[in-house]
Amino acid sequence: MLGKGGKRKFDEDEDGLEGKEVSPADGPSKVSYTLQRQTIFNISVMKLYNHRPLTEPSLQKTVLINNMLRRIQEELKQEGSLRPVFLATSQPTDPLGDNFREVQPAFSHLATPPAHPTDSASTTPLESCLTPASLLEDDSFCTSQTIPQDGPTDLPSPTTQPVKDSFSSALDEIEELCPTPTSAEAVGASTIADTAATDNSKESSGESALQKPEGVQENRINEPRLMDSLPGNFEITTSTGFLTDLTLDDILFADIDTSMYDFDPCTSATGAASKMAPVSADDLLKTLAPYSSQPVTPNQPFKMDLTELDHIMEVLVGS
Amino acid sequence: MCLNPLLKRALLEILLAVDSAFFRSLSRLSLGKSYIQHCPAEDMEGLSSIYDVESEDGVGADIISTAEFNHTGDLLATGDKGGRVVIFQRESESKNEPYSQGEYNVYSTFQSHEPEFDYLKSLEIEEKINKIKWLPQQNAAHSLLSTNDKTIKLWKITERDKRPEGYNLKDEEGKLKDLSTVTSLQVPVLKPMDLMVEVSPRRIFANGHTYHVNSISVNSDCETYMSADDLRINLWHLAITDRSFNIVDIKPANMEDLTEVITASEFHPHHCNLFVYSSSKGSLRLCDMRASALCDKHSKLYEEPEDPSSRSFFSEIISSVSDVKFSHSGRYMLARDYLTVKVWDLNMETRPVETYQVHDYLRSKLCSLYENDCIFDKFECAWNGSDSVIMTGAYNNFFRMFDRNTKRDVTLEASRESSKPRAILKPRRVCVGGKRRKDDISVDSLDFTKKILHTAWHPTENIIAIAATNNLYIFQDKMNSDMH
Repeated sequence: MLGKGGKRKFDEDEDGLEGKEVSPADGPSKVSYTLQRQTIFNISVMKLYNHRPLTEPSLQKTVLINNMLRRIQEELKQEGSLRPVFLATSQPTDPLGDNFREVQPAFSHLATPPAHPTDSASTTPLESCLTPASLLEDDSFCTSQTIPQDGPTDLPSPTTQPVKDSFSSALDEIEELCPTPTSAEAVGASTIADTAATDNSKESSGESALQKPEGVQENRINEPRLMDSLPGNFEITTSTGFLTDLTLDDILFADIDTSMYDFDPCTSATGAASKMAPVSADDLLKTLAPYSSQPVTPNQPFKMDLTELDHIMEVLVGS
Repeated sequence: MCLNPLLKRALLEILLAVDSAFFRSLSRLSLGKSYIQHCPAEDMEGLSSIYDVESEDGVGADIISTAEFNHTGDLLATGDKGGRVVIFQRESESKNEPYSQGEYNVYSTFQSHEPEFDYLKSLEIEEKINKIKWLPQQNAAHSLLSTNDKTIKLWKITERDKRPEGYNLKDEEGKLKDLSTVTSLQVPVLKPMDLMVEVSPRRIFANGHTYHVNSISVNSDCETYMSADDLRINLWHLAITDRSFNIVDIKPANMEDLTEVITASEFHPHHCNLFVYSSSKGSLRLCDMRASALCDKHSKLYEEPEDPSSRSFFSEIISSVSDVKFSHSGRYMLARDYLTVKVWDLNMETRPVETYQVHDYLRSKLCSLYENDCIFDKFECAWNGSDSVIMTGAYNNFFRMFDRNTKRDVTLEASRESSKPRAILKPRRVCVGGKRRKDDISVDSLDFTKKILHTAWHPTENIIAIAATNNLYIFQDKMNSDMH
């Protein structure tokens, strides 16, 4: 189901857009509105990184796209708090569940902080980065989120480990995907290797980077694995310790991108690989590499993320 | 990240190749026959093509990026993506060709900006001419300002039609004569020669902008001008290149808080202390330089409340103002956003006095237009000489005119096929619904690569210049040509 969700997204990108009403008011249904929002979100993220190399992107455009992303984020946040009501009336059927879910990994992937197993909030798999910590601590919200999470995670291909929406299953997955330290170092993007969680997140982004030169074929072979890693990472991000230290803007400007690279190769199996070509995980790592090499104390890994974010922001707006 | 030198050389070679192609086409252009029209009278909407510039290849460098008439309207300057400025001059009426007035011919061509590379940022600085502004003529020479993303240059255009002949010690080529051959002395004389137009750079205003310059505007005091980039507006003295005054700065302390940029800016035509700037959130701010040196606080804010019924994801993007122009009278401001063009009265801040739909049928296509980046196109707008008609561009080589008095509007097309010399432009219609009249074009068959972003209106007469990709069209009102 996860794969299907991805496929639907790309169909949407290619031909489903024409004539679509985008106003929330006159959309035929809530579901198609969510789909549209997802599409616009994806387009926006792609746009931020798809400008001509060596030229300064138009600041106006960047700002407008960022505002768009902020707006969508705002909406998701509001919907998040309304969600219990919504779910009570209709069980999360796939389109909504899938798409709503899809946004989240995109936000949360790269900046994955180490999890604190003792943290109570971390046991709930959440679309964490999109929601402020204050919301996360709201119990009703957290638990309600587990329902859509169940949908997609129940259905992955049989090769994957059955993923439960608990933190322990995430840990299992981390172990399963646990990287060899050398590969992480080879990428040169990882400076912290002291927790399995950070390793895992770095590794998955590193993986896609390493596969890239070997062609799409390689990528496809790895896709199931990458996808498997997603739910794991997804859950790790729910550490509130991380969230309280991260402002919305930080998330917005930086996390989106990196996760795109990690996330989209997974979905490119539908034949949209060519579409993804302009942005390779390679490029991303290259740009990130210089920034991530700053000294970081091991017990504050997210600080490093923040400096990265700052740099990315600077590059983005060309200040 | 540093630039591969090989890559850079290859790039330069490509640029040179494109340039020479442009030169070739230009020479052909100046030799080519231009068009004269003397057609029966038509009303304002019946314009006809009088000149049509085309080069052989539409690849990049010769895409026209700005067009601007001078204050008399006798000269028209265009800038292109390749950093070149082409000046057209209106031919004066000749006896044997009584209808030739209004015909514009190439007067001068020069390279204004060259591609540069910012080694600190590892970024290319494009040579594309973003804006041209003419200075009021002070003497026989003409002067104009041209700008790319970063650097503004002041150019002087002079004519020479005589040359000295008969030097005693120099021959025709200027070489020193062998003194033994000099047997008699003569008085050098000025002999008429073919008109030569010389263009020379007078000032280079560099390093004033961190972001991309989107507009320049010469003040009515004729001594200063301003240049606006995405976040700041600078005030320059035309004679001083090493310093400028920052009059607007909207850069937040933390760039992450940035949600709004400056999109265009212009001085008031009569009051040298007033200027307006537009923003990506759809507002216009009028500033008075007498109030304070740094005009961070606007004097007036022109903003229309958002209509909740038409709110969509793209509300903000389509409300971003792409161009703002004071009327000649100085009473009104014209602001173009993605779907509309609005007339604001300086005395009323709450809402525009007039709103005209340019291509409202695109409202349902915004998602596609966002995806293909068209939604970020920056359409310009223009007033006619008497402030009674406004003009702005659209897609599919269409441009729109709105008569403010009669409230009539018309869609015209600038294309080689439809605008034969002396032909009268036929109004075009874009059909939205199912029923479609003959010659109507459906929304789905509009060509979004053919966009008319840059338009200019002669300051007094009904002559307009339309830049359609790499073609420049000059249309003239029939009434006008009849009067002469």
